[in-house]
Amino acid sequence: MSPDRLDLLDVDGALAEARDGLTRAGFIVAAGAAAAGVAAARPESAHAAIPASDRDVLNYALVLEYLQAAFYTEAERAKALTGRTANAARVVGAVERAHVKAFRDLLGRKAVGRPHFDFQGVTESNRAFLKTAVAFEDLAVAAYKGQARRVRSRAVLTSALGIHTVEARHAAWMRYLNGNTPAADAFDLPRTRNEINGIVASTKFITAQPSTTSGRKPRYTG
Amino acid sequence: MNQHRPARAPDRDTRSSVTRGGALRTAALAAGGALATVTAIGAADRLSAAPSAAKDVRILNLLLLVERVEVAFYEAALERAELTGELQEFARSVLAHEREHLAFLENALGDKADPEPEYDPAAVTQDPDAFARAAAKLEDVAVGAYNGQAANVTPGAFLAAARIVSVEARHAAWIRSIRDRDPAPDAVDQPYDRARVMRELRELGLAS
Repeated sequence: MSPDRLDLLDVDGALAEARDGLTRAGFIVAAGAAAAGVAAARPESAHAAIPASDRDVLNYALVLEYLQAAFYTEAERAKALTGRTANAARVVGAVERAHVKAFRDLLGRKAVGRPHFDFQGVTESNRAFLKTAVAFEDLAVAAYKGQARRVRSRAVLTSALGIHTVEARHAAWMRYLNGNTPAADAFDLPRTRNEINGIVASTKFITAQPSTTSGRKPRYTG
Repeated sequence: MNQHRPARAPDRDTRSSVTRGGALRTAALAAGGALATVTAIGAADRLSAAPSAAKDVRILNLLLLVERVEVAFYEAALERAELTGELQEFARSVLAHEREHLAFLENALGDKADPEPEYDPAAVTQDPDAFARAAAKLEDVAVGAYNGQAANVTPGAFLAAARIVSVEARHAAWIRSIRDRDPAPDAVDQPYDRARVMRELRELGLAS
């Protein structure tokens, strides 16, 4: 894989300039605010059986699953995708939503809230969608791998591994549809949280405030 | 380097292989599976015996067997299954990966590696269709084997296994894509225990 998936996420050719500064802070603020809000508003739950450090990892994974679920759901609603790409978006979207629900159920009151998203039109053509989907899925594989060693509960780890390989299947599927080789290397490398956060932030797909996109003219029809 | 296109990649979107109804059914089943699997975590979190170097040897030898089978299978397929196009590209790429995985495990195990068993991939490499069917199953077995064992090894072995298992999952989705099957049929991939790994390899005629 390339050392940095930013090139694939850089769908409008200008995102690389935004890697530093407020965009990065935006992702962390959005996720952090949601986490803080939950912690302040909700008492200790019955989910204390999971070690606190594992809850932290699960919440981190939940944010990535929120991101993916929102992306595929928006793609499905936009109805702009066609053929096998549209089918893949539907199937993968249902799975990512299932991951979100599973993590939320598992975390109970400790679950972070859903951030706000603005996918800036990348869900509205097969080409932009696939390019972004490849980047998201490869990123998810690297993110799960990067966090796995921090998990203390064997049961959490086993389930996380099972989700990790589903993300890898999705990555290969989207790559196949996009005309990329589905498995580029013999070994997939992990990424740290800082790396993942930086890449996600650079996309500006996560916004600190509810998107105002809906107040403008519709980005898609149908 | 990683952008080369499969021989018949263009215009796949014009073909609709998985029906909408089928896809939605699959997704619904997948969602149910995810909940059943992941929410079960909240219950008792029983640990099997703690990881140890001795346990690593036993587990890594199972994974070694899987990689040996894969290498033998893809080598035989490339020699005799008369693969062309996408299937040939798939087999060549995957064989190269499996050889790297095998070399890694052989190196990790050193003189603790089990003797190489007999396997006869002839029946599952007689033609492209037989190869593709067997490859899809074998890659799913590899994913299940790593997922089933990774949580039971020491941290060093775990990190290596984690770097390999997602590549096996990519292979599984790749061959399923070529075969017009759902590349990711479940929301959570199941861990396979040793007995299931061996049973599935035997069903393929690739273990005794």
